[in-house]
Amino acid sequence: MLRVEGLRKAFHTRTGPVQAVDGVSFEAPDGQITGLLGPNGAGKTTTLRMLYTLMSPDAGRVLVDGADPALEPVRVRSALGVLPDARGIYKRLSARENVAYFGHLHGMDDRLIEARTQRLVETLDMSEFIDRRAEGYSQGQRTKTAIARALVHDPRNVVLDEPTNGLDVMTTRSLRNFLLGLRAEGRCVLLSSHIMQEVAQLCDRIVVIAHGRVVAEGTPDELRASTGCANLEDAFVQAIGSDEGLFA
Amino acid sequence: MSARALWVVLRKELLDAFRDRRMVLVAFLVMPLAVPLVLAGTTALGARKQAQQLESRLQLPVIGAEHAPNLVGWLRQRNVEILPAPPDPDAAVRTQRHDVVLRIGAGYATEWRAGRPAEVEVIFDSSRPLASGATIARVRGLLDGYAQTVGTLRLVARGIHPSVAAPLLIGTRDVATPESRFDLSQQLLPYLLLLLAFIGGMQLAIDATAGERERQSLEPLLATPASRESIISAKILATAVFALTSITVTLLAYRVSFDLMPTGMVDASFELGPAALARLFVVILPVVLLGATVLTALAAFARSYREAQGYLPLLIFLPMVPTLVLMVAPVRTQLWMLAVPFLGQNQLILKILRGEPIGAAEWLVNVGAGLLLVAVAWVIAARLYHREQLAASS
Repeated sequence: MLRVEGLRKAFHTRTGPVQAVDGVSFEAPDGQITGLLGPNGAGKTTTLRMLYTLMSPDAGRVLVDGADPALEPVRVRSALGVLPDARGIYKRLSARENVAYFGHLHGMDDRLIEARTQRLVETLDMSEFIDRRAEGYSQGQRTKTAIARALVHDPRNVVLDEPTNGLDVMTTRSLRNFLLGLRAEGRCVLLSSHIMQEVAQLCDRIVVIAHGRVVAEGTPDELRASTGCANLEDAFVQAIGSDEGLFA
Repeated sequence: MSARALWVVLRKELLDAFRDRRMVLVAFLVMPLAVPLVLAGTTALGARKQAQQLESRLQLPVIGAEHAPNLVGWLRQRNVEILPAPPDPDAAVRTQRHDVVLRIGAGYATEWRAGRPAEVEVIFDSSRPLASGATIARVRGLLDGYAQTVGTLRLVARGIHPSVAAPLLIGTRDVATPESRFDLSQQLLPYLLLLLAFIGGMQLAIDATAGERERQSLEPLLATPASRESIISAKILATAVFALTSITVTLLAYRVSFDLMPTGMVDASFELGPAALARLFVVILPVVLLGATVLTALAAFARSYREAQGYLPLLIFLPMVPTLVLMVAPVRTQLWMLAVPFLGQNQLILKILRGEPIGAAEWLVNVGAGLLLVAVAWVIAARLYHREQLAASS
């Protein structure tokens, strides 16, 4: 389970400080898929980066299964499977070697890595390219490798930043089924997206984020009800628009 | 920092590097071929030039040759070809058309007959000792020889024993060992070795940090439980291992090139035995580690692969500084100098090549100072690896 409380983060740029995340709080429970929905630049990636310990928040805190990354970074990283926005894989290694590298970094032994890789190869349908060097992989093959690498240590919590970015329809479909499988296994899944339909189709709970703040939160039905829109896309626009009306 | 994570990253970085065909080609084929070629080439060229200057027919323009037919005839007998005088002898020497021009004074014959010293002038340019030094010495030697022969004959003609004019018997004993009498190529060797040690792993270091970030795999790596200290240490060690392997192959190639060269081309007594090689490695090791650490820190500091490569000229220049200083102002080695990076290593490499012993204090100061500097560079590199901008650049 993931919990985020009052997160704030500012960046210092040449044109002055930019408040990327401005007091974000939400919860992503186990056995559910939580979607972080917001336009580009809303602060989704920064929020996730604080969650997986790449950045430390200026204020607020993160709890991963009750552990604070500021105090127990190793425990948090072990409990998390992360598919960051940056998902480069090593071109001179095969997919299997890419996955095994991360398995070893998580302290797993060879037998465990092999067994776990085998399962991921089956669920993600990677058998065709698993032992080929990653040079020349398609976008979908690269993403599958990055996902397998992120999940090799069987984490309870899975964080994915824009997972369907650049994927074709078929790969998106199989990824969606894969995420539903993770949910069925009782894991906590948190994904970010700027694509309405994707979040609506997949997520049990949606956290709408804009200008670094949470502007709406709830199940799709709750969102529709709270905004008074029958259609989720309108609800999304309404949530972001009303944010400006309410707080700006 | 965990040893296990360090080993995992080190193994992966080396596997990744050794699969990079271009990197391997440069480190294990181009360098081992280029370095001995450059060194052996300069040696052979130097040896040939020297032999030519000593043994070949010496071409000597002479001004006023008609004033001293005996001297000219004597020179001709000694493998000297007398050339007509150039119109402007000073310019001819300065522009290197001739190494030496001999001028025989117009009053030579008169002075000679009167038994007074007759004037001859050797015109040369002392600012080019490498190019014309041997020729100048040869001409002087010939003139000295002629003067001595005639002088001796004159003394005998007057009934005086020639030893009267030779109050001193000067004997010489050269204490140089075969190893210490080394040539140009061995003066270049310390610089080349230090340069290779310092930046030999450049490609790997830049690729492992700046490249890893540019290819977007650094962020997932930093999200694993491996500490940044483990990751950076492993990347530094991988760079060092790669550079050291490249140097070993290069040194072995250099060694083999010596055996392949025709005897007489080089000082065959120069030996780089296993003991000398081992000592060279001890001297080089801190430089290799320092280079790997500095390169990794630079790669973490630079915003891109390209920017990291931009520091290359500066890094090539650094190991050159002590060699340049020593060229301009040769100094006696003092203990504190061994603590100065590159200067200390340069001096010790020279000692090893000259076959001189190195004392315990010298080892301690040199290796100790080197490792201390590595530690400082490591702390800086680790701090740079902790910056949030490192992975999250976009």
